[in-house]
Amino acid sequence: MPPIRDKFTIHSKAVVCQDVELKGDITIGAGTIVHPKATIFAIAGPIVIGSGCIIEEGAIIVNRRKEVMRIGDDNLFEIGCRVESPSIGSFNTVSARARVHHTVRISSHCVIGAACLVVPVDDEILDEYTVIYGPAAERRVWSGRGRVQEADLRRKHAEYLREMLPKFNRLRRGDGA
Amino acid sequence: MTPSIEYYCPCLAASPHPPPPHLPSSTYSFHPLHNLFFCEECDAVRCNRCVMVEVSGYYCPNCLFEVPSASVRAEKNRCARNCFHCPNCRNTLTVVPSDPPDDGDARMSPIVSSTLGEPPFFLYCNHCRWDSAEVGITFEKPTGLAAQLQKFEDSAPESLEFERLKEHFEPFLRASSSSSSALHSAAAHHVHTNPITAAASSALARDIPGVGKYNPLSRSRAGRDKHAHKNDIPDYKSRVEVASAGINAGGGEADVDFMCRLETMSEVAALEQRWVSSWVASLHSSDLKPLRIPLQSKKSKRCPSCRHILIKPEQKAQSVRYKIKLVAANYLPAISVSLPHAQAAVEMMKRSTALNKSAAATTVDEHGASAGALLAGKTYSFHLAFTNPLYDPIQVRLKKAQMMQAPGADGDKTRRPPFQVNLPSSPFPVAAFAEAWEYEDDEEVMFGLEEDEGDLDGMGRQQRDGRSKTRTLGVVEKRANVTVVGGEVILTKEARGRVKFNMLVSYTYRSDDPDGAEENVTGTPSRSHASSKAPELKNFSFYTVVDLGLIVPREESRIDPDI
Ligand SMILES: [Zn+2]
Ligand SMILES: [Zn+2]
Ligand SMILES: [Zn+2]
Ligand SMILES: [Zn+2]
Repeated sequence: MPPIRDKFTIHSKAVVCQDVELKGDITIGAGTIVHPKATIFAIAGPIVIGSGCIIEEGAIIVNRRKEVMRIGDDNLFEIGCRVESPSIGSFNTVSARARVHHTVRISSHCVIGAACLVVPVDDEILDEYTVIYGPAAERRVWSGRGRVQEADLRRKHAEYLREMLPKFNRLRRGDGA
Repeated sequence: MTPSIEYYCPCLAASPHPPPPHLPSSTYSFHPLHNLFFCEECDAVRCNRCVMVEVSGYYCPNCLFEVPSASVRAEKNRCARNCFHCPNCRNTLTVVPSDPPDDGDARMSPIVSSTLGEPPFFLYCNHCRWDSAEVGITFEKPTGLAAQLQKFEDSAPESLEFERLKEHFEPFLRASSSSSSALHSAAAHHVHTNPITAAASSALARDIPGVGKYNPLSRSRAGRDKHAHKNDIPDYKSRVEVASAGINAGGGEADVDFMCRLETMSEVAALEQRWVSSWVASLHSSDLKPLRIPLQSKKSKRCPSCRHILIKPEQKAQSVRYKIKLVAANYLPAISVSLPHAQAAVEMMKRSTALNKSAAATTVDEHGASAGALLAGKTYSFHLAFTNPLYDPIQVRLKKAQMMQAPGADGDKTRRPPFQVNLPSSPFPVAAFAEAWEYEDDEEVMFGLEEDEGDLDGMGRQQRDGRSKTRTLGVVEKRANVTVVGGEVILTKEARGRVKFNMLVSYTYRSDDPDGAEENVTGTPSRSHASSKAPELKNFSFYTVVDLGLIVPREESRIDPDI
């Protein structure tokens, strides 16, 4: 395998803290927030993160495949989660310490509960509004009621962080800047 | 398995002696010290099996509201405020408003000021995202939801039927409680005439969701017609015929049909999901309703003999403290047991695994396990550490309760007891309890062990006269309010089973109230500081069971050639 070439493209409106681990070809969209101590590894192929995502402390995002790992908008990756999905839609929540294997593609409005393991052997796509919860990683389908309010809350959350994080952390800029 | 010790509660038994420890039933008489109470009035240990329990207050575990007992019944033992369980995952539900009309392009809309949302409100689970709108339950206002839900619950056919049943039996119960003796002859097979036992038996006969139903109705009715009850309760006519009314009460053709057409598991409500509801719940997971959270109670406990309160919690639901707390740990010395050779083995194992992690960890494990084990035919010493909770020093004396009978010695008279226990025979002191800063730093003293020559324990067995043997008996260490004494156990060659024996612990302490001696002959060990009056020495004894662990049979006995 050729050595990984680092190439960071960070939107000027994104907030990426200095103390994060980035490797490989990574693109971070407008308004996305990466907390300190988060890890984003584009090992095999590039990682492209959309706008308005929140990536919390200790979260690990890994691309093990050659193809581009696309992460949509307004996703929340909570503390200590590990995500290797080749593609992720929008408005998803991956809760604290959840683990999602590279065999799973996530569509939109999905919720992976705290500490849930999602590691199917065969490739799988999570339908929209799939909720995975509990110690046995049970599944159900969310009605979607309350989704507008949740999206609103997610944006307020991001807005607050965009304001507060730069006050206490040095920020990282993209290669271009 | 670490060695353990438990304390005996006589539970008002006729005999003061504990049952032999090798009987499995004996475990019910022994308890860890922290589970026991102490009645000062009776000067006796009390356990959770013998105390009288009474409810001192009801509260909701979610909102911590203290519910007056009058409302508990009306509100059917569930919280009447805004506390609900998710019927799907049993997380607590929150009340949320509905989304504003979706403009179809939520992503692009700018951040909306203040709060979104409008009526109707519904209950929403943050964990599994179940919501009550899924089952058609919504509210115009976000308040008084429980009352609305209870109205719904109370109008359930089962609930109405139950109310009618209660009404029907009311006069019967009232009559039976007033003249229970007269009724005894009336219903020969109906011995439960007391309303409480009647309630209990009906509770036991309650239907269990998902468990097959036994319906004795048809048979018993036929029987009843023949030998009509001598007492004159009119026959009860149910409001609706359960089977025909199409109540989703479980069982019946409808459920069979549903199960036959089942496509995914999640269509069926799991047993745990149906178990918690008050009435027979439907088999369909799509019918699950939000549950008002069941109340919990704080309980106080009384001495079964003198009815004095042993423990009483503070009324406030938020408080975790007690108004009265007479726990045995404040009166009896705490005892802990250890096997020095096993501890040494564990130490060795740790050290060697730390040294060579990779090098055959398994063999080290094996070695460690066998080094810490009790091998048949060997002699081991054990340590008993006594911690004094009293503000006065105590003198402790130990005695082995009785000879161990070999377990399963089915009539084999020649069989010797599998082990012999020797305990220090002379009394030893345990210093008074004091706050940590009151102890002198250099008070820690290692004792050269006391003379314990000629220890017989009344067992008629001459102690071995080797000097090294006696060294394991007696005081090993004293520090602060802890005294450690050594004992030894001699295992016979054919020993097996557990090394478990009863031990009588007696201790003398200074009594607080020498004046009250005539009414209270034995006095009570009390934690309070002694008064200035002349100290009077009192004695208290209790039984314990010491479990040193499992005996590992010897290699020879394992490959026994005969038989
Ligand atoms: Zn008891
Ligand atoms: Zn409540
Ligand atoms: Zn739930
Ligand atoms: Zn009492």
